[in-house]
Amino acid sequence: MSILEIQDLQLRFGDNQVLNGLNMTVPEHAVFGFVGRNGAGKTTTMRIVLGLLKAQGGTVTVCGERVRYGAAKTNRHIGFLPDVPEFYGYMRPLEYLKLCGEIAGLPPQSIRRKSEELLELVGLDAANRRISGFSRGMKQRLGIAQALLNEPRLLICDEPTSALDPIGRKQVLDILSAIRGQTTVVFSTHILSDVERICDRIAVLEQGRLVLSGTLAEIQKQHRRNSFSIRFAEDHEARKFSQLEELNKPGIELSLQDQVLTIVIEGEAAAGRLLIDLLSREKIAPEKFEAIEPTLESLFAEVVQ
Amino acid sequence: MEILQEYWPFLLPLILAQLVLLITALMHVLKHQNYRFGSRTLWIIVVVFFQILGPVAYFVFGRGEDG
Amino acid sequence: MNHYIVFVKKELLEYARTYKLLVMTVVFVIFGITNPLIAKLTPELISSFVPEGMTITIPEPSALDAWAQFFKNSQQVGLIVLVLVFSGVLSSEVAKGTLINLLTKGLSRQAVILAKYSAMALVWSWSVVISALLTWVYTVYLFPVDPLSNLVFSIFCLWLFGGFLLAVLLLGATLVRSNYGSLLVTGAGVLILTVLNVIPQAGKYNPTALVTKSMDLVAGTIGLPPLYASLGITAAATLALIGLAVLVFSKKQL
Repeated sequence: MSILEIQDLQLRFGDNQVLNGLNMTVPEHAVFGFVGRNGAGKTTTMRIVLGLLKAQGGTVTVCGERVRYGAAKTNRHIGFLPDVPEFYGYMRPLEYLKLCGEIAGLPPQSIRRKSEELLELVGLDAANRRISGFSRGMKQRLGIAQALLNEPRLLICDEPTSALDPIGRKQVLDILSAIRGQTTVVFSTHILSDVERICDRIAVLEQGRLVLSGTLAEIQKQHRRNSFSIRFAEDHEARKFSQLEELNKPGIELSLQDQVLTIVIEGEAAAGRLLIDLLSREKIAPEKFEAIEPTLESLFAEVVQ
Repeated sequence: MEILQEYWPFLLPLILAQLVLLITALMHVLKHQNYRFGSRTLWIIVVVFFQILGPVAYFVFGRGEDG
Repeated sequence: MNHYIVFVKKELLEYARTYKLLVMTVVFVIFGITNPLIAKLTPELISSFVPEGMTITIPEPSALDAWAQFFKNSQQVGLIVLVLVFSGVLSSEVAKGTLINLLTKGLSRQAVILAKYSAMALVWSWSVVISALLTWVYTVYLFPVDPLSNLVFSIFCLWLFGGFLLAVLLLGATLVRSNYGSLLVTGAGVLILTVLNVIPQAGKYNPTALVTKSMDLVAGTIGLPPLYASLGITAAATLALIGLAVLVFSKKQL
């Protein structure tokens, strides 16, 4: 079953068509990376899902229930971490979690137990002091704890790592990895390496609609082109190989740099075998033979053109 | 001196209240770096030399956000 | 109801930890002690400034003078401190974003406004009570017991006026985004009310009557009935302002 379903979402601010028929489905237990340029509409989409903003068309369903603007009862399924979470600086972490738990209507004993568990999970169990002295990373981690307090089925994080230094980023990503399986995580980001590290599914938002979505493996497979790189031991081998008749025909791109030849062969399923055959026919043993996987960066750059 | 003897039931709690205010304000100034405006030196002078008004002004106008 | 109690507790913790409660308490304690003292010492101070050989007659100070000090201090500096201390009551939370997180967890906006008003009113009540009690204790200690009329009623009027100002402040905070917006609205409100007193018949109904007639009440030159109109209007206006604040805040895009 899918936890979050967005269908044909439309939103326009004045002349600016922010969302233009956005369709997105997040299956249960996914760690879902919601990628897009700054200003692509990620935060806007999240605010609509939380019922904080009214869409002009389309539907959003969380755990099978329609989201309604203003009185979003669906929020009981959702934990939300804003991009820069703000807390009452005069409170201690346990006090803040208690306040959140009381507002969510949880019974006192379970608030206490759950709070301690979560502070341990996010590594703040020893930080029993006022939040005003917390670093950004600590606040972000407390933000995750408060979002998980009511055991939500869906955790939504808005750019959880962008404001953090490398250590803080690693800690936040590790926590999000650790809760994989317990809850579904949707997080927006423009940092692709974060997505590669922890996500199993991604969706790329561009001009108000998804231009790319699926599991990471699927996407890479779909967009894999027959690209190879061969490094030769000798210059003359490289030159000789690149001048072969079989490789100098339409549909094949060659580029030689020093002793590295990059070859893109379109539409040829057995391209790798062809190259190996050629190599052995010419009796050339390359130093390195590699099929080039598309990087997320190159894919992103491609779809966002 | 005569006034002191006659009015100690007034002066004692007054001085006490003033001291409480002075000490809490001074500790707060020294423990924090962020003020809504003004520098640490300014607030120390204000808190120490302007009785009652100084600490009140610090807590109402000068204290940065949070705790 | 549950959210209301939870949020009142949160507000009171905030006031205690951000020194709002301390400032209010110390200011009103100091008033409580100095009110009778100043009343007692003023004649001595004046006579020490009078040149040798000159004699002026200064009436012997009494309990009435101590209470005159109480009303003067509470109504001027006291109310100003009250409004200043609570000027950021809503705007700072909205600006900083601390409230939005709790609202997405389902916290009712109505509960936020009602709880904030209740908690402020509680601190104001505490301040008035402690200041009045201290003034009373020290007045009894310093002066012969005079029969004073309507003292409790007059203090009640002062308290109600403070409550009215807090309601104006809170409505101002829902209307204007900045910290100083609420102060501005409150200042403008008081100014308008003061100007309204120019109209001869308006004074009777004006909330300001609650604080301008205090000493007349205590001295016994007027009784309670002349204040009933103002009392009713102030109470009704306070409730209406709070209701309006709830309404404005629930429609507000945060």
